[in-house]
Parts: sequence; C-alpha cells; structure tokens
Amino acid sequence: MITRHLLHLLLFITLHPAQAQPEQLVLRAQDAYAKGAYDEALAMYDSLGQDLGSASLYFNIGNCHMKLGDVPMAILNYERAIRLQPGSEDIQANLDLARTQVVDRVNQLPAFTLGSVWDRVRGGKDVDQWARRSLWACALLFAFAIAFVLVRQRTAKRLLLAAAALCAVTTVAAIVLAAYRVSEVTDRSQAIIMMPKVDVLAEPRTGATTVFVLHEGTKVSVLQEHNGWYEVKLSSGSVGWAAPASLVII
Amino acid sequence: MQALFRSMLLLLACLTGLGIRAQEITFQATVDKNSAATGEPIKLTLTLTNAPMGSGITPPDMGGLVIVQGPFDQNSFSMVNGRTSSSVMRTYYVQGVQPGDYTIGAATARVGGGTIQSAPIKIHLVKGESSGANSSLLNQAQKSDPNLFCTIALSKSKAYVGEQIIVTYTLYSRYNSLQPGDYDLPKLDGFWAEEIDLGETTWEKVPQTINGLRYNTAVIKKQVLFPQRPGKLRIAPMTLNYRVNVGFFNNGTPVTITSNAAEVTALDLPPGKPADFIGAVGDLKMDVKAPTTEVKANEAIDLTIRFNGRANLKLIDAPKLGFPSDFESYDPKITDKISVNGSGMSGSREFQYLIIPRHEGAYTVGPITFSYFDPSTAQYRSLSSAALEFNIGKGDGTANAPAGPARSEVKQLHQDIRYIRSGDLQLEPKGHHLFGSWYYLAGMSIPPAAFLLFLFMYRRRQLQLADTGGMRRKGADRIARQRLKAAADALGRNDREGFYSALGKALEGYFADKFNLGVTEVNSTMVHERLGHLEGGALAKQYAELLHDCGTARFAPIENKPRQQSYDEAASLIHRIEEQL
Repeated sequence: MITRHLLHLLLFITLHPAQAQPEQLVLRAQDAYAKGAYDEALAMYDSLGQDLGSASLYFNIGNCHMKLGDVPMAILNYERAIRLQPGSEDIQANLDLARTQVVDRVNQLPAFTLGSVWDRVRGGKDVDQWARRSLWACALLFAFAIAFVLVRQRTAKRLLLAAAALCAVTTVAAIVLAAYRVSEVTDRSQAIIMMPKVDVLAEPRTGATTVFVLHEGTKVSVLQEHNGWYEVKLSSGSVGWAAPASLVII
Repeated sequence: MQALFRSMLLLLACLTGLGIRAQEITFQATVDKNSAATGEPIKLTLTLTNAPMGSGITPPDMGGLVIVQGPFDQNSFSMVNGRTSSSVMRTYYVQGVQPGDYTIGAATARVGGGTIQSAPIKIHLVKGESSGANSSLLNQAQKSDPNLFCTIALSKSKAYVGEQIIVTYTLYSRYNSLQPGDYDLPKLDGFWAEEIDLGETTWEKVPQTINGLRYNTAVIKKQVLFPQRPGKLRIAPMTLNYRVNVGFFNNGTPVTITSNAAEVTALDLPPGKPADFIGAVGDLKMDVKAPTTEVKANEAIDLTIRFNGRANLKLIDAPKLGFPSDFESYDPKITDKISVNGSGMSGSREFQYLIIPRHEGAYTVGPITFSYFDPSTAQYRSLSSAALEFNIGKGDGTANAPAGPARSEVKQLHQDIRYIRSGDLQLEPKGHHLFGSWYYLAGMSIPPAAFLLFLFMYRRRQLQLADTGGMRRKGADRIARQRLKAAADALGRNDREGFYSALGKALEGYFADKFNLGVTEVNSTMVHERLGHLEGGALAKQYAELLHDCGTARFAPIENKPRQQSYDEAASLIHRIEEQL
C-alpha cells in the first residue's frame, strides 16, 4: 500500500514537476538536498525557477550547482540571488567561496567601505521594499496634511507640518531608491562566462584576432549585442567580442 | 680445592633449582616474516625457556615448506639479581617453492614428564622474482663475443609504476684469468633503485653451459628497481673493461664488453585510485595498535601503524590520519625492518604516532584506511582498521598543562558552502516589481486624491458655515415642505376636509415639535406667548388665525380664502419661524 503511494509520488515528481504545488516542491527539493541527491533537488528548483524567482531560490539553485561541481552556474545563480538581496551574508559567503575556484582574477573591485551598510539600506529583504515604503510615506504625508488642516491648536499645527515635511522628504527618497533598485535588478549589463575557455575576439566573427582569453565563472560587463555576439568589457578596461552561448547574462 | 669446587657446584645447582621453580617454562615458535617470496628463506625459531635439563624439542610439521638450513641450537643462561633464566633456541631456515598459504604446525617440547606445544604459524608465500637471463638474451650476448660477455636481465619487462623489478648484471667468461678494469655502470633514469647486498663478487660454483660452451658466471650487481613514471624506461648498456690472459710475464689483452640494453614498459596505475592511495604497490598487511585507549587528558598515546609485506615499503609515506582537532599529534617516528634481497624488497615499516589528547571526552580516530595496488591482480586493495575509540579522562593538572581548561581558538577545519535556505522561499512571479506597477501608481495617487477631495469638501462646508442665514432659510424651506406634504397631497386631490385636517395637523405638529409641547397644548394663547416677539406679534396673530380657520373649515364648508392661499400662508409662516428662531 505504502509502496504504491510512493510509486504514485515518484511518478508525480517525474512526470509533473511543474504542476506540483510550489510549496510542496520546495519541501521535496529540500529533502532531496538534505539526502545529497543534488541533481534531483536541482531539477525541482529549476522547474520552480521557470516562472518564479527569489533570492532564496537562486541561492538554493546555486548551492545545488556548487555541490555538483558546476562553478560557473553556481556563480551565476549566486549573483542573481545577491542582486535581489544585497548584503545577505550567506549568499556572499557562498559566492566568495565559488569565486575562489575561478581562474581569472580580473573583476575584484576594491571593497567599498560603506558597502555592507549601503547594501542593507538599499537591499533589505526584497526588491519591493522601497516601493512599499514610498507608499506608506506618501499615505502618511497626506494623513498629516489632513490633520494639519483640521487641527486648530498652533503647536500641534507646527508639529504636524514638521512631520508632513519629513514624510515628503522620505517619500521622494523612497521613490528614488525604489526606482534605483528596479533599474539595478532589471539591469542586463553583466554576465558570467560559462565555457571553460573563451577566446575574446577583436571583431564579432569567427577567425578574428584573439584579444584576451577568459575562463569560466568570470564576471564581465556586456556593452552590446550583435548577431548573438556580446561585446564584453573587463574592469581593467579591455574590450572584445565573446561568441554566442559563451556567457549568460545575470 | 676439590671440596670448594664441589660446594660451588652444589650452590649453583641450588640456585638453578630455585630459579627454575620461580620462572615459568615457555615454549614459543616464531618466524622473522609471515609473508615471503618463493625461494626466500624464512627463519623459524623455536625457543624453550627455563626448561630443566634433559628436555627435548621435536621439530614441527613444516606444512610443505622445505628446510634449507638448520637446525642450529643455541643455549643461553643468565642470572639477573639472583634470578636465573635459561633458554634453548633452535633455528631453521625454510623456504617454499609454490606460492600460497602454508601452516607450520605445532612444535612439541618434552619437559620433564609432560609436553608443551607451540602455536601453529601461518605463512603466506607470493611468487618470487626469477632473475636469470633467458636463453634468447644469452644467445644474443654470446654472438657478440663468445668468450666474455655480460647481460642485464630483468625479472619482468612489464611492470606497474611502483612495482618491484629485479635487475641482475651477470658476467659470463671462458677465460681462466680475468682482471677487472674500469667499468661504466648504466645510469638509471625513471627508476628508484635499491641495491641488493651480494657481498664480495665471486664466481658461481657451478659453471653454466650455453650452446655447448661452458662459462664461469658471476653476478656483478643486483638491484631492485621501482619504475617511477609510466612509459618505456630504458636501462642503458653497461660497459666493462677487462684484461684477459694475464700471466706472470704477460700484461694481458684488454677487452671491452658491452651488455645489452634493457627496456622496461612501465604501466600507469589503472584509473580509480582510492583517495587514500599514496603509491604503495605490492602485497601488504596493515596492523594498527594503540597500547591504551583510556588515558587522562595531556597524557601521551603511542599509536602504531605497521605495514608488513612485500612492496615498495621505503616509498610508503606516513598515512594522513584525521585526528580530532583536540588531539595534538606529531610527525610519526618511522621504524623500518626492510630486507632487500634476491627476491625483492620485503619486511615491515612502522609508523609510530605520538598523540596527546588535550581535552577530556570520547573521541574516535579512524577507521584508518590504506590502499595499495596489487600488481598480480591489477587491482587496488583497501586495508581498513577498526575505528579506535579513545576515552579521555579529566587531566590531573599535574602534567605539563596549564591550570584551568586550555583555551584555544575554534579551528576552521574545512570550508564548504553554507546550507540551502529552507521554509518559505518568498517566491514571486519573475520580473514582477511593485514599483511602476498599476498597484503602485494607484497606491501613490490615492492619498493626494483623497486629500484634494477632503480639501474640497472642507472648503465647501466652511463656506456654508460662514453663511448662517442662507443655511437656515434652506433648512426652513425643507421643514415647511415636509410638514405640509400631506396638505399638498389633499390640495391636489381637491379634498376639502382632508386638506384642512392635514394643514391644521401640520401647523399644530410643527408648533408642538418646535417648542417641545404636547399637541393638546397648542392653542391661540400659547402661539402668542411663544411667537409674540416675532415681527411685532403679526406672525403670532397670523399663525393663530390660520390655525383657527383650519379648525373651522374642517367641520363646516366655510372657507375665508382659497385653499392655495391658505397653503402658501402656512408654508410662509413655518418658513419665517424657522428663519427667525
């Protein structure tokens, strides 16, 4: 009886991974990972990742790839995760560990001293954080404005005016930050090299002169795309064209 | 003189007798190695201690092994602090022809009236290396110079990296007198070589006949070679210079001979090396010993790992043992009992680890595993010991440990990625952001819109409040219309009685409600009292008159004025009262 249930369950997993409830799939993937069946866990997380996304999901996918020894895919997913949740300690730790296995050492930008604080301020729990805050600040601003109109007492009026002014500043700041976060998250200007060795050429055609060579896991800036070729730029300033499918945009 | 000698003998006999009574009688059989190659002599020693005079040893059943030398007897007698001990050691050298497992049976010693038996011994024989030159090699060499030639012979031409090969450099001569000169021994490239000590080079006792010619032969040199890298490894020819036919008056003729070159095909070890493989090739056994597993903290433990067998023992490094981080361990002391002889390298290598547990608790070391490559079956073999459980008691503090627990930083042993996030992953549709969505725009515009609406309403109310008269007039109109609704209806129906009844009720009701009176209290006096101060009493008079007219017209068809006029007057009255009160 139990075996039949298990069999059904198994069939369900293998045949309808996308149709299963996301919550159940998350739990099942979690169990598979705990047992060391990283490829199974990865398949389930990947099926979730077709329509859904979150920092935690990318983090878990990255972990699966890391355990399976696919460092560039792990880095790609950690980068996606940390972009959604900057300043997250565990993502950063795993990303750092994955980066130690990258051959090229080109994009180690010096750490910005205020980095972690800034990460926390702009990142926080999720992308929508500042958008939500701007809504609250806006609502509060006009609530104070209404109170200001209604209240007769002079001191109360002054206090309310100050509060409303504060809310106005907060609203503007929150809108700016929310817009910045969205632009950051939807940014498609960075990519991870996926192939073990990529010859970066001077022109977007095969046979052109090799300008420099990149290895898997390296992060590059993408300047433009042309017929599937990507013009990439390193933090050192070197620019060249990488063949199609040699990199994946973060 | 004789008396003195006799008394001394007696004393000695007494002492001996005492000693024998005090000491235990033991009988042991031991071998110098349990694993050997075919043709390699094994030393079997039977030791009988503290047996009284007249005891005898019966040799054991050798179980298929052949005695090549012996027995040799050795007696010893010692007296330490008044305690005597004696022992008889009988030594045999045995060897086997066929590889396999042999058992040397129990030896029996006759002591006094009874017998003592030793424990049987198990012997494992592996195929030894035959190191003679084959006939084709000899024929080849003989052609170059039939009188004097030399060969380099290999025990095998194909071997795995690390497997032993025995190389024999042999000289064949038909000359009676031969005087050695310079020689040039080949350099070995790609091998690790171990010399076999042959002692002084001598001619073999039995001459060898090759293609009908008799040769004196001498083994010049013998080595055990271990290929260090895969591929074709070449041993260059050796060159020897001799003077032959040296006589008293004759300086002899110089002859230079060059041997063949030998080539070894070193095979790479097959893939699938176990993680704990550190290059041991051969046939090995592992023995892990810890004298004690229960010590106090800061007391030392000697952990011994002994590798025993026929292999490249000298190349075995200390196995890396994963000691708990609370154990302090030192580089192991290496004790070799390795013999290199005609059958290769065999013996044992022992690693003695000194470990000092620094904290109390239960710790597990191992299981210690070790892998070696067995070239005879071309397979990796794993040796494993049972896990050692150490129970470390509380240190007594008098050892070299400082008082109080030794504090140390937590050591990072390994680095691995952090574990996955579990629970709610806060999944959201991809590419969905609150900022810029319809919800966001709506959420942002609702508060200002609400504020503007509020402001508009508020302003209007303010204006109305400022215009009190207008307000009241509007209210009075409404109230008058409400009160006179029934009258208006009756007017429309042209119902005289209904009209006046309704009008009268409206005027009474209005007045009563206005001044919080009962309907019965409404009369002309009351109207004058309450409304007399308005419009110089004209309003009160008009109200009372109309009320009276309604009462009259209700019951008799007497109408002072048209109904419409009465209605308008009533409306005007209510209106004016509302306005002024």
